[in-house]
Amino acid sequence: MDLRETPEESAFRAEARSWLEANVPGEPLPSFDTEAGFARHREWEARLAAGRWSAVSWPAEYGGRGADYLKWLIFEEEYHRAGAPGRVNQNGIFLLGPTIMEVGTEEQKARFLPTMATSEIVWAQAWSEPNAGSDMAAIRSKAVSDGDDWVVTGQKIWASRAVWADWCFGIFRTDPTAERHRGLTFILIPLDSPGITVRPIAQLDGDTGFAEIFFDEVRVPKENTLGGEGKGWSVAMATAGFERGVSLRSPARFSEAAKRLVALWKRIGDPSDTALADAVTDCWMRAEGYRLHTYRTVTGMIEGKPIGAEASLNKIFWSEMDVRIHEVALQLLGPEAERMSGPDERWVDNFLFSLSGPIYAGTNEIQRNIIADRVLQLPKGL
Amino acid sequence: MRFSFTDDQQAFADALRDLLTKECPPSLVRSVWEEHAGHAPALWNKLGEMGVLGLLADAEMVDTILLFQEMGRAAVPGPVVEHAAVVVPALGADPTYAGLLDGSLVATAAGFDGSPYVAHAAVSDIVLTPEGIRRGFTVVDLEGIDGGRRLASIEGGTTEPLPDGFDAAAAYDRGAVAMAAYLIGLGERMIDIAADYARQREQFGKPIGAFQAVKHLLADALQQVEFAKPVTYAAAWSMAPHEVSMAKALASEAAYRASRSSMQVHGGIGYTWEADLQLWMKKAWALNRAWGDPTTHRRRVSAHVLG
Repeated sequence: MDLRETPEESAFRAEARSWLEANVPGEPLPSFDTEAGFARHREWEARLAAGRWSAVSWPAEYGGRGADYLKWLIFEEEYHRAGAPGRVNQNGIFLLGPTIMEVGTEEQKARFLPTMATSEIVWAQAWSEPNAGSDMAAIRSKAVSDGDDWVVTGQKIWASRAVWADWCFGIFRTDPTAERHRGLTFILIPLDSPGITVRPIAQLDGDTGFAEIFFDEVRVPKENTLGGEGKGWSVAMATAGFERGVSLRSPARFSEAAKRLVALWKRIGDPSDTALADAVTDCWMRAEGYRLHTYRTVTGMIEGKPIGAEASLNKIFWSEMDVRIHEVALQLLGPEAERMSGPDERWVDNFLFSLSGPIYAGTNEIQRNIIADRVLQLPKGL
Repeated sequence: MRFSFTDDQQAFADALRDLLTKECPPSLVRSVWEEHAGHAPALWNKLGEMGVLGLLADAEMVDTILLFQEMGRAAVPGPVVEHAAVVVPALGADPTYAGLLDGSLVATAAGFDGSPYVAHAAVSDIVLTPEGIRRGFTVVDLEGIDGGRRLASIEGGTTEPLPDGFDAAAAYDRGAVAMAAYLIGLGERMIDIAADYARQREQFGKPIGAFQAVKHLLADALQQVEFAKPVTYAAAWSMAPHEVSMAKALASEAAYRASRSSMQVHGGIGYTWEADLQLWMKKAWALNRAWGDPTTHRRRVSAHVLG
């Protein structure tokens, strides 16, 4: 065990830091859940890609730096430290990208990864359906084989940024006689295909950050199948593993939030209020615990221990920690916590956003089932 | 950066687990309680032979941290943490105390965490305190909640001077981080015991582990234990006081949560003397406070973070 950075890691950190200092916009961009903000974030992604910083853990041939997970964490620390913009193409770069690298054909890698790295194509997820949320195996949207095409019909929901995104990915029922996890296929679909209607849904903060997607006999070439016909569930589980695990929620975001909370305490906290001081400290401890836990997980991954159901522990931990950090901030802010605009609006905004964490990417209740069933080996209840 | 144990560190921990599976079954822990022994001399000697008790005379804490976790898993009775993590690093180099290394001399440590009591005094030859090394004392037995940790006051005897350069604060940190690892082992084992029970015990025609209310109790307990681990390992590596305090606070709380959830999963059986779970629970409750309670340690983190 050696928790010090190697000279190579330090050099990588320094390189990332100096690029970010020179390039991160001085003013925060408008929310990527708005049309204007989405466009600005896409421009930012292009700039990141030009510096080869958009997908650091990808191989160089697809626009990355071949960074191992530890370096990726270092990059994330620098990224959040610099206050750089949110990642508008995170569904592509952090979820679909690794999945394509794992199960895609060489042709698919060459076709999809470079435009993903530059965000020339921004990807939306199309997993959930109105009657298939936590119970994702209940999906009914279907893809019917017709020669070289799939003909897709159905409805997907909670597709983040689908209103402005270019393509979506999801699983569809390709064998109508198969049930539940069988007979599903993972398909990549351009959102401008004839027969697609996207209806924005205003989320808790009022922005139309997510959407419903209606498919009405949409023709999709079969070459857009990822991982093979009928393999959709296992491909989707690999993607979901990336989402719940380290890929999407790097510790840096929470470490920075915890640091801001400590700064807020130092600015307005009442030193005699030991209960609130303890709450602030507890948030800092959780963020530090998450950071160390991630470093341990990632070392294991580098040493060949794949991340399994333990990813569900991470998902519960970060999402509940994020809510807690913001709850404590609002407690500190007192009357200011009611204002949606003002000097501390970011805390209120981020509080609303934090509340999505325990729900998306598989609710925390589903994650607890996964931990109980697969880590603790308790009998299946569902 | 590399956050993992070496093959040697892991292999030693695995070997210790094998030894303890054989030599420290729940029946042994229970007999120590019921005979009011507070200690298992045969097991102690085996730990001495294996090198577990004397290792910290020259090893680093990170080399041994998994050993304390394994001893917690097995609820090893006696002053293993005090002896191996606190007294040996302080006195192990002194030929007078050479017996500490193989365990022929049994030591405990007290007075570092504000408690007026001396755990394990009745089974120890010497007591290391911040004021000096006590020997030849008279033990006034007190009834503690953990039968593997006899509680006492000590009177009389001699007090020998501490070695030059003895650092009481460092001794406290060593006790706290080793205790954190021991508590993690306790928590992990309690969850295992409860998961076993939940697989076997049937109600409403199925094992109770199939019910989400039961699953979620144990999943939450496991999460706390799993997140206390890297904090404890990192603290053992750095020995930075605020990291040690994070470890002891989180491990104490995780073991406490594991005790509550595991007892709840057991239902009525969990409230009996007969169930082995109590041997782990009561130890977790006693050790929650030993070497600093969670509040004390949180305040130390708070001082570091909030200034």
